Amino acid sequence: MTSSSGQGKRRQRFDSLVTVFYQDMYRFAAWLSRDKAIAEDVVQEALLRAWKSLDSLRDDGSAKQWLLTIVRRENARYFERRRLETVDIDNLSATQAALLAESPNEELDDLRTAIFGLDDDYREPLVLQVLMGYSTNEIAEMMGLKQGAVLTRLHRARHKLKDSVAKE
Amino acid sequence: MTGEQDNEFQQYQALDLKIAKALQIDVPELKMPELPEIDSSGVTALPQRKRSMMPVWFAIAATVVLATSISVRMSGVFERHDSLPEAILAHIDHEPDALRVTDVTVSNDRLARAVPASIAVYERGESLITYAQPCVINGKSVPHLVIQGEHGPVTILLMPDEKIAEATPIDGENVKGVILPVGDGSIAIVGGRDEPLELIKKNVVNSVTWTA
Repeated sequence: MTSSSGQGKRRQRFDSLVTVFYQDMYRFAAWLSRDKAIAEDVVQEALLRAWKSLDSLRDDGSAKQWLLTIVRRENARYFERRRLETVDIDNLSATQAALLAESPNEELDDLRTAIFGLDDDYREPLVLQVLMGYSTNEIAEMMGLKQGAVLTRLHRARHKLKDSVAKE
Repeated sequence: MTGEQDNEFQQYQALDLKIAKALQIDVPELKMPELPEIDSSGVTALPQRKRSMMPVWFAIAATVVLATSISVRMSGVFERHDSLPEAILAHIDHEPDALRVTDVTVSNDRLARAVPASIAVYERGESLITYAQPCVINGKSVPHLVIQGEHGPVTILLMPDEKIAEATPIDGENVKGVILPVGDGSIAIVGGRDEPLELIKKNVVNSVTWTA
């Protein structure tokens, strides 16, 4: 196999994976960072990192978890670099507000705002379970937690959301 | 399940459906970053080994290549077919383990993992679901379920991104079925040649609500 055809196949493999999982990567980054502009930066960095370490991915069946783990790490790196402060929900930047101002459905908007307001510890497992379809076991593995802790966080997250929806 | 538990489960599902919709924000078009050239020559340029060790290394390398090739094929990520029925038949062929005759049902957790609320809600009802796995067909995420029919396993593929104009028959060597248009997507139902699919089709279509 020549080097260029090897590169071509590598690129083809990468493009196929990114095509399938880009939406999940972006949405995960957006809900982790709570900022559309940061999410785009995080995904760009994650794509670069994934490209460089593609050869370490042996089984394409595990690609989604592999890519989301890269997004998670890149998001953490981004916030370490910037040392960003806690988001004040009454004083959002334009790109933070953009995450919330999309739906013409009022109930959906309220719920989105409530999710936005959840602590990171609650929001992340919720996104991984409801949006990405991971089991509590897998979430525990990804977040370095015990399964019981994940179950507790998920229960509290739902409880908070249920309360906020009921209050509206 | 008692009536109270059933009611609680339905409330839980309804809340998850709303959360899933709320989480599905618009995604901007993919902008691929400039990807540097990767020097993967190190992968093939192994240092020379003693002659007597070659068969061992060859066997290990061959196993890795074979395993990678099988897993890549199984993942369906690279598969491209001329038609959707062909892609579906090829996918079913790639996952023969799914078609076991069994009465062991998958857990709610397993089902939720295969059918994330961001794609669809599937009311399992009375059907005996014996396989549930998130799969990829034609480069798109597709929940793959198997239920036990009257004469054996019946494959169900939920394809929210495969819009079709009309019902399309599927005709394989030992199987037959149909792809049904459902909302903005479609659902494939494939069973053995002697499997009566009419009731299954009706139940499945009534059990699925797209959330994507």
